[in-house]
Amino acid sequence: MKSQLLASPGQRVGTSPGQPPVPARRNPTRGRFAAQHRRRMFRTDMLTVALWASLAAALALWLADGGMSSVGNLTQAVTAVGILAGLAGMDLVFLMLLLAARLPFVDGAVGHDRALEFHRKLGKPALYLLLAHGLLLATGYGMAEGLNPVSEAVALWTLVPDMWLAFVSMALFIAVVVTSLVAVRHRFPYEFWYFVHLLTYLAVAVALPHQFSVGGLFAEGTWQRWYWLLLYIGTGSALAWFRIARPVIATYRHQLTVRRVVPLVPGVFSIEMSGLRLNELSGNGGRFFVWRFLAPGMWWQAHPFSLSAEPQVGKSSRQPTLRITVRNLGAGSARLASLKPGTKVAIEGPYGVFSTAARSREHVVMIGAGIGITPLRALLESTPFAPGQATVLLRCSSTEELFLGDEILELCRKRGATLFHLTGPRSANTQSAWLPASAGTSRLRDFVPDITDADVYICGPSAWARLVLAEAKASGVREEQLHYERFDW
Amino acid sequence: MRLRAGISAALASAAILLVGWQAGAQVTESNASAVTTSAAGNTAGTAGGTASGTGSTAKGTTGSSASGSSSGTGAGSSSSTGSSSSSTLGASAKAGGTYAGTAVETRFGTVQVQVTIKAGVITDVTALHLTDQEQRSVQISARAAPLLRSEVLSAQSANVQTIGGATFTSEAYLTSLQAALDAAHF
Repeated sequence: MKSQLLASPGQRVGTSPGQPPVPARRNPTRGRFAAQHRRRMFRTDMLTVALWASLAAALALWLADGGMSSVGNLTQAVTAVGILAGLAGMDLVFLMLLLAARLPFVDGAVGHDRALEFHRKLGKPALYLLLAHGLLLATGYGMAEGLNPVSEAVALWTLVPDMWLAFVSMALFIAVVVTSLVAVRHRFPYEFWYFVHLLTYLAVAVALPHQFSVGGLFAEGTWQRWYWLLLYIGTGSALAWFRIARPVIATYRHQLTVRRVVPLVPGVFSIEMSGLRLNELSGNGGRFFVWRFLAPGMWWQAHPFSLSAEPQVGKSSRQPTLRITVRNLGAGSARLASLKPGTKVAIEGPYGVFSTAARSREHVVMIGAGIGITPLRALLESTPFAPGQATVLLRCSSTEELFLGDEILELCRKRGATLFHLTGPRSANTQSAWLPASAGTSRLRDFVPDITDADVYICGPSAWARLVLAEAKASGVREEQLHYERFDW
Repeated sequence: MRLRAGISAALASAAILLVGWQAGAQVTESNASAVTTSAAGNTAGTAGGTASGTGSTAKGTTGSSASGSSSGTGAGSSSSTGSSSSSTLGASAKAGGTYAGTAVETRFGTVQVQVTIKAGVITDVTALHLTDQEQRSVQISARAAPLLRSEVLSAQSANVQTIGGATFTSEAYLTSLQAALDAAHF
């Protein structure tokens, strides 16, 4: 194979020099990934439609109940808006729960991290709507009874059955959103945030009684009540199945145990695990699992890590294994270095679309930095491409940080991928700050001339990745060709 | 792709809202007749209520509610043997008759009921006025009133559970009823 290690575009050796550059196609309709890509885009669109439709349906519940005709004066209008805010806010809460439920349909379409990013974006609007619901109804009811909103709220709390639960629910929602704000979140350990976040389930549960007993819209015998009940039951069972049952089943099915921990450089190590039926997990290179190492003091910590090697099942392995590569980034991951062989491992996943599932073109470009190099190794191992159709760019400050560099070089040689090592301190040129200074004025296009017709996989620290994403877009790569895996969430 | 998703989402949402709106308009139409009939009933009922002149006992209700509820439970426990309970109750109740409760204001409208007592037994409860300020309230009260009536008749007191989804109506209904029972010295 002609592939070799290259340091800069100037030294690039064409893998197939006689071949003219592939012209960029705006809409790929050919190729083995075209159908898969269309399906995925369709699913993404369907999710967008479902999301808006559910919000419309929540408001339609009220409209279908003759809501509009009940608005005759200002008091009634305030009350009506308060009811609508509650419906919309609660619908957003259901959507948020479903986005966090790791539904395979959502994960396969947009990927786990994008689903969670959207989940996070909905947090504040949902809270504001629920707060507006409380305030507007206290005002509206108060106006009807000649009370100010505060005394009306007190009256609601003390006199109306189930209303105190609604107030408790509101307090819990506020606590959940406040602890999830980035500024607050960084002040507490992840586990604190996580356990406060679990209060969401309590908040949703205690919000139910007042919706059904005080809310006239969901009175007994109405179809609206059934619709709302189905939302509750559907969301609850999705969470129970995908977040509890499926991980437990996967853990028992694969029976993973730590086989050995291999140090690479100080602070970076690979964890090899053996287990059963690992062939079912192959082809998931680049996707991540949530790992729980069942050792004293560690079992309650969940670590999201991508595979750094496809599960080895065939030939040489008497014991099938898979591998993750970990950089010591915090107290939690530091302790993983001391894992004893034989430690049992609970898993959830695989999650994400940083894999062959996201491919849309024949050409593929993989760009990784730091520990973000390691998921690329597993992807490089399994994703289909013909010799000369793949380019790998590895960015790190020194050759020592070229984690699994030898293995990647070997894979590139074997499969015919072009490999660039981009090492050294970062470039002073702000436009190409994701590159090392040694790259000079080179741009992404200089490394990969046919990038507009390729899938681009990017994995690395978020600040760095943003620069790469920006340059890829500037080079004419469309959003749907960009596949970005965050590992610092 | 984005455009396609956006347009589809907008169309779907608009269609859902339109269907909801249309369904709402139909509900309103069918309720319009319900409102007029109940309004007609109300005028007659209110006339009857003022005739019995118990509106002035509004403040006294709380004071006598303790005795009212205790007698209520007594009657409730022995409701199967109506004759024995009637003999233990006061002479005024024995006479029987029709008593209107106080008009109770709620945020969804006024609620007033009238109770018929014969030989110390509650034989009927009729609603003189029910919550009607919004379309929704008419539906709710129309559904809750018969349920409350049968509950009251079997419990022989105002000590019955509120109806789910009709909290305000129920509370007002039972308050008005209690006032009527107090007026009857039941």
